[in-house]
Amino acid sequence: MADAEVSLSPALRPLHLSPSHSAPPPPPPPASSSSPTTFSCPSSPSSASSSSSSSSSSSCSESSSDCPVHHHHHHHHHHPRPQLHLPPPPHSEQPSSPSASPRSSSPSGSIGSTGSLGSSASEGIGSSGVSSGGGDARGPSPPLDVISEDAMEMDLGIDQVIDPEVALKACQEVLLQVKLQNREVPEQQQVDNKRQQEDQQQQQHFTDSMEGSGPQWHVSPDTSSIKEEDEEEDEEEGEKRDSPPSARPESSSLLSASSSSSKQSWLLRLFESKLFDVSMAISYLYKSKEPGVQAYIGNRLFSFPDSEVDFYLPQLLNMYVHMDTEVGDAIRPYLIHRCRGGITFSLLTAWLLGAYSSDMHISTQRHSRGTKLRKLILSDELKPSAPPPDARGAVSASVFDGPSSSSSSPRRCHRRHNSSNTDSASSFSAAGGPSPDSPAPGEGEVFVSPSRRTHQRSKSDATTASSGPGSGLRRTGSNPKVEAVHEEPDRLRPQRELVKSLLCIGKRLATLPTKEQKTQRLISELSLLNHKLPARVWLPTAERQHHVCRVPHTQAVVLNSKDKAPYIIYVEVLECESFETSPVPVRIPETRIHSARSAENLDCGGTAANANANCGSVMMSEHRAGSFSTVPNYDNDDEAWATDDIGQLQVEVETHTSSSDNISQFSVDSITSLESKEPVFIAAGDIRRRLSENLAHTPTTFRRDPEDPSAVALKEPWEEKVRRIREGSPYGHLLNWRLLSVIVKCGDDLRQELLAYQVLRQLQSIWQQERVPLWIKPYKILVMSSDSGMIEPVLNAVSLHQVRKQSQLSLLDYFLQEHGSFTTEAFLTAQRNFVQSCAGYSLICYLLQVKDRHNGNILLDSEGHIIHIDFGFILSSSPRNLGFETSAFKLTSEFVDVMGGLDGDMFIYYKMLMLQGLIAARKHMEKVLQMVEIMQQGSHLPCFHGSSTIRGLKERFHMSLTEEQLQVLVEQLVDGSMRSITTKLYDSFQYVTNGIM
Amino acid sequence: MSQVEKKAGLLRRSSSSKKPLKEKVVLMYDEIFAKEDPAKNNSRFWDELFLMKVNLEYLESKLESVDGEEVQRIQDNINSLFHHCVQALGEEHQIKVVNALQTLCALFRGVHQKNKSASGFDIINMLMGFDKAEQRMKDLMERLDSLLCGDGSESLKSLCLKLLLCLVTVTDNISQNTILEYVMINSIFEAILQILSEVSSRGQHGYDTVVLLALLVNYRKYESVNPYIVKLSIVDDEPTLDGMGMVVHHALTEYNRQYKDKEEENQGGFFSTLTSMVGSMFIADADEKLSVQTNEAILLALYEAVHLNRNFITVLAQSHPEMDIPTTPTTPTPTTPTSPLGTTPPSLDMMNNPELPLDPNLQTSNLLITFLKYASIVMQDTKDEHRLNSARLCLIILTCIAEDQYADAFLHDDNMNFRVNLHRMPMRHRKKAVDKNIPSRPLVCAVLDLMVEFIVTHMMKDFPMDLYLRCVQIIHKLLCYQKKCRIRLHYTWRELWSALINLLKFLLSNETTLLAKHNIFHLALLVVNLFNMFITYGDTFLPTSNSYDELYYEIVRMHQVFDNLYCMVLRVSTNTGQWKEAASKVTHALVNVRAIVNHFNPKIESYAAVNHISQLSEEQVLEVVRSNYDTLTLKLQDGLDQFERYSEQPKEAAFFKELVRSISLNVRKNVSLNTLSQDVLLKEFSTIS
Repeated sequence: MADAEVSLSPALRPLHLSPSHSAPPPPPPPASSSSPTTFSCPSSPSSASSSSSSSSSSSCSESSSDCPVHHHHHHHHHHPRPQLHLPPPPHSEQPSSPSASPRSSSPSGSIGSTGSLGSSASEGIGSSGVSSGGGDARGPSPPLDVISEDAMEMDLGIDQVIDPEVALKACQEVLLQVKLQNREVPEQQQVDNKRQQEDQQQQQHFTDSMEGSGPQWHVSPDTSSIKEEDEEEDEEEGEKRDSPPSARPESSSLLSASSSSSKQSWLLRLFESKLFDVSMAISYLYKSKEPGVQAYIGNRLFSFPDSEVDFYLPQLLNMYVHMDTEVGDAIRPYLIHRCRGGITFSLLTAWLLGAYSSDMHISTQRHSRGTKLRKLILSDELKPSAPPPDARGAVSASVFDGPSSSSSSPRRCHRRHNSSNTDSASSFSAAGGPSPDSPAPGEGEVFVSPSRRTHQRSKSDATTASSGPGSGLRRTGSNPKVEAVHEEPDRLRPQRELVKSLLCIGKRLATLPTKEQKTQRLISELSLLNHKLPARVWLPTAERQHHVCRVPHTQAVVLNSKDKAPYIIYVEVLECESFETSPVPVRIPETRIHSARSAENLDCGGTAANANANCGSVMMSEHRAGSFSTVPNYDNDDEAWATDDIGQLQVEVETHTSSSDNISQFSVDSITSLESKEPVFIAAGDIRRRLSENLAHTPTTFRRDPEDPSAVALKEPWEEKVRRIREGSPYGHLLNWRLLSVIVKCGDDLRQELLAYQVLRQLQSIWQQERVPLWIKPYKILVMSSDSGMIEPVLNAVSLHQVRKQSQLSLLDYFLQEHGSFTTEAFLTAQRNFVQSCAGYSLICYLLQVKDRHNGNILLDSEGHIIHIDFGFILSSSPRNLGFETSAFKLTSEFVDVMGGLDGDMFIYYKMLMLQGLIAARKHMEKVLQMVEIMQQGSHLPCFHGSSTIRGLKERFHMSLTEEQLQVLVEQLVDGSMRSITTKLYDSFQYVTNGIM
Repeated sequence: MSQVEKKAGLLRRSSSSKKPLKEKVVLMYDEIFAKEDPAKNNSRFWDELFLMKVNLEYLESKLESVDGEEVQRIQDNINSLFHHCVQALGEEHQIKVVNALQTLCALFRGVHQKNKSASGFDIINMLMGFDKAEQRMKDLMERLDSLLCGDGSESLKSLCLKLLLCLVTVTDNISQNTILEYVMINSIFEAILQILSEVSSRGQHGYDTVVLLALLVNYRKYESVNPYIVKLSIVDDEPTLDGMGMVVHHALTEYNRQYKDKEEENQGGFFSTLTSMVGSMFIADADEKLSVQTNEAILLALYEAVHLNRNFITVLAQSHPEMDIPTTPTTPTPTTPTSPLGTTPPSLDMMNNPELPLDPNLQTSNLLITFLKYASIVMQDTKDEHRLNSARLCLIILTCIAEDQYADAFLHDDNMNFRVNLHRMPMRHRKKAVDKNIPSRPLVCAVLDLMVEFIVTHMMKDFPMDLYLRCVQIIHKLLCYQKKCRIRLHYTWRELWSALINLLKFLLSNETTLLAKHNIFHLALLVVNLFNMFITYGDTFLPTSNSYDELYYEIVRMHQVFDNLYCMVLRVSTNTGQWKEAASKVTHALVNVRAIVNHFNPKIESYAAVNHISQLSEEQVLEVVRSNYDTLTLKLQDGLDQFERYSEQPKEAAFFKELVRSISLNVRKNVSLNTLSQDVLLKEFSTIS
């Protein structure tokens, strides 16, 4: 058992924020088999505690938030009390690892996990132990270590059963408590403190784990980290236990008996089952009127991996905003917990809360839960006042030189560390090891990087000062400004500022009349923005943790839109271990790029420098000294830069280096001919031929069009763009350099887009699961308010409109031009991609009733896929209600031509794919429906206009039809769409009104 | 401005009841110029002196009138005065500080005017005394430094800068100003940087600061290590560099705006409609009025920044909103370049406002664009010496820019497109260019346009050979970059080609007159080699295959010019004479052009004959060209894509020396006594005290 678990966890960690869930079927520890009780367990703290003794309801209540964590322990219920004591043993093993603190960067310290594990796993008892164990252990025992985890897992062997009755009770108590909690945070804190002392009282422990975390952390850095980790580990445990639901009929029966509702027992079993995923949790949260169930699920959320829950964040928040207090109360602890956990989650939540609250009447809105929570988050009171992050910061700071390290989120790191002791040991020993215990002030983390930075700066100043007599003083004088900006104690501030300024730019651009002016303005606005970078800001659409270091402002471009001014920007980022705690990269001046380019010419440059009369060698050495000290990290480049800087490579050198380009032999020839006095002859015809060949060989680019500035930018292959920008960037030489892009939209409500994205993602995963090769590309949406947000651009894709306007070819001819003739593999691949994506989007368009399908809203990527964008009109809404676009989806004869005509195999394949896709989607209809339905709650979005939205959506899945009937349906749909003149009509309508071809 | 002030001051002095007060100062001055130690009888003498309003005229004239022997006699007292001035700078009482600054100014000026011929050492001795000079100057510079960097009154800072400017420009040749040696040792460079880095102080003192810096950098530039050069070259603080760029940008914009205003003034009224027709008649007149005095000091500062500091290059491309739109009549009395050091700081609203204003009519601009526009104005008329110097400096700056890789990168950046409205000289044979429909293009196009414009408009008897050489070299450098980086610029190369051919034509037809003064073969060689660049490397940077055909078309069309040129250089190179070698280089360079002419001409003729066409159309010629490439062999020439790097020394040293001298004179003239004795200042402080 233990082994199995161990292996599992390591694997999981890297993958998910919360490890436990990601791993679908964790080998259930035999002991844990007790799971049936789970239902009660989830209520966890209470259950656990109560199980042992219904001792103190009050404690339970407080702990409610924590509960989820503890569930696991319940399983092991046998010795509820003993478990508390159990933890110690593991600790003893763990003490060796001082590293604990460093990991803590994110609340989920590995240590904690170990601790929790120990408790929970060790004897099932853990339930209470989890939190309590963690707390207790910390005080007396040295920080737990990774090692301990293993040990604990071993302990799992012991069976534990939770008394379902008690659990249920606890559940309800928890609910009550939650309510109380919400009102009296301070109280809780006090309680927490008490708890620490009263480890023995399990219930209190529970509470600690959740709410208490704040205060506790202050007490001692180590402990805090431990706690967090505990929770996470608990979650893992919980999952494992969940997996073997059927194992324990008795418990379920007990439960049912107690609740005297068979339905509930079923529910319980379901909840315990491994099939129970976030989707179901959300669904039950939405449907169930039973406070107990809601509370349970609220707790249960803790046990899911963060990433999975994140997907449903819009649903969760919409429920939080628009549904009854019970639901809100059930969700709240989880939200609070996560907000404490990270800036990213905090901001996402705040933005979404704002957006979803906007539909409420103003009077209610002001006092609504959503608004309040939003305020709370933005007030930045939910910071993890934990020292761990600080310690972590120190670590990462020292480790900073190796930025390429792949681990992205702090949590992941934790996991990893847990899994392999050696791993963690080595990485941490680097810096955090030596002084992990040093307690740092709560805000420390924020300052870490700034101080570092300024330190460096001032150092450079000092050196320059020393270089010249009496210099440097003034410059340090101006530095304080810099510091002031960066020492902004508000951790959410930089990011919010960034978003704000991006949105402001968008608003201002909208007032300019022409695209050209917009683009120019955009570029100059962004260049101002550049002055403030790098900073502790990130692009929320990105996968990995990073800091934004530069915006290559000249690359930004305004997108096509009639009256708004959406624009795409490219953003250079430096990946880092943790966005929140890694030090912000040091600014490198723009001109520093010379270094990278001319590094090869070092020595030549040096000699050239001397030749350059007026500065003289004195200056050069000065110069070097200066640049060296400025950015100690990049010694090599600095040197290169310094020499090059003054040296101004002489031409000869340059031509030599450029000789590597073989396109023109002439440049080479001209040099070789220098040595040999033999005259070299060339044919004029060759020159002319090379010219036309070179021109032909350059990839098909689009012409610059002042009316459509984005066409060129989007057509450029992404890799090429990355290479080009990297070459021109002073940061380009860093290994962890990445290029991202994002579309900033102002004045558009992206909530529908977000919903569409979710549905697309859902369908995509359904099709993957069912192995239907449909291809769709959901692109990420960030809602920042009800009228602004960001969109992840689809790379290497241009709109059909742009294709047509620029190439003046039919779609098929364009395919032939881009991919080769009919029989080439490239063409066939592209064609297959086209068909698969067409089928995917045809279904999407049908199911979601996506309208406004003109060619400007359909992209074609470089591999032949089509991608639909702009889901502004879906479900019940359609543009201007002109009655166009009655067809199910857009299928023009051009499309059919690319598929090889009506009788072609590919067209048949297309229809077959649609059928398969529909069948697969139908099978999982609930998942889709439920997402949409929840979002309808309290929403005024046009897509929910009318009362039949959900019913209509449901009907389009045609649950009642046989597969044969479905096939007929597909035929009909395809037929109808093809014959539909309305599609064509709509296109010409668009052309007339918007100039879109 | 200053006139008015002066009058006001005089009025006040003569009519007000302050007369006795003035007398007291004068009396005290007299005491200083007596042999006795003035403090002997009155221990509070110095304290009181600095409470008095300074009478600059009197003090200066007094100093001037002192003759050789007297100097010895009163030297102690003057030393003492200097000493106490420096000490007074540290006073809390701001009136004293102001008076001390002004007194110092008078001291420096007076002593120098007196000793025009005397060596620097005498002056130092007279002011401070040899033994104490070092300490005195150290104190002075430290005091000034702390005044400039402190939180004190802006007027006070302004006065400090005036004093420094005054000190720097007391001699015609800055390098002979020995006192500056102490300014080198006790650097105020950091104070300058700080002023430039802060938005508010930059707005008020930016201009003076930049001018001061430009002058200091030129102190003994070639003879010794000038710490200001060293320091300026390594500044990498972006706000500071930006600030400097802003100051330059603003000054140049102001100039452009004034020029435009004048131009419009001249064309205003109902004349505007007539100018296109009758315009040429008025041009001579208009030209006179249009000459706004150029701003050499600022240009010099720009040059030093571009030349010395690589990081400054980025500032050139920093976008600002365009400011030369007269819709912002911010200050009624904008500083005219003729009195750039006047008391009113330029209206720097834009500079003070970090946010870009939101006006759809505002074009985005940057320093480089502004500079190009400025250059286009300055280059129009190179007759007067100042403008010639300015034009030369502009071309030197462009040379530096064209050599910088980073600058080249953004010049050619396809994503940075701008409309640059260059000023074009109205000429008889062409209409004034319509400003509007200039397409938005990469900046390098504007540079090339400017070069073409210059080439076309300066073929005159008084041939500016030096400027032409620079001009052609700039084009060459840009082409080298394009070739190296394979940038295919969509530029109408044809205009350049025909401009160059016309230049050759001009050289040919004025051979005798020009040869008397210039080596025209060198220029001819450079021009022919530009063609060779296109002929041999055209495949690497021409935008379309058609453009290569057009190149041949143009050469064949104008073959007469090349034929004549060849005859001429052949003739000169076969004779013995000073041009023999230079001419023979051109003959070699012409190899390929002649090959082209000799290859295609017969083909075209026979084509015409065969098809019985007397006059071939362009398309037909191009067709002949296209079909006959393969039988043409060209010779590869060496070093076409290599060029000599710009270096200031030794070639340009004399130019810069002269330039700095003229700037010094100008600055000195403008740091008038009146700007120093501002009533404003006194008023400001009288309320405090």
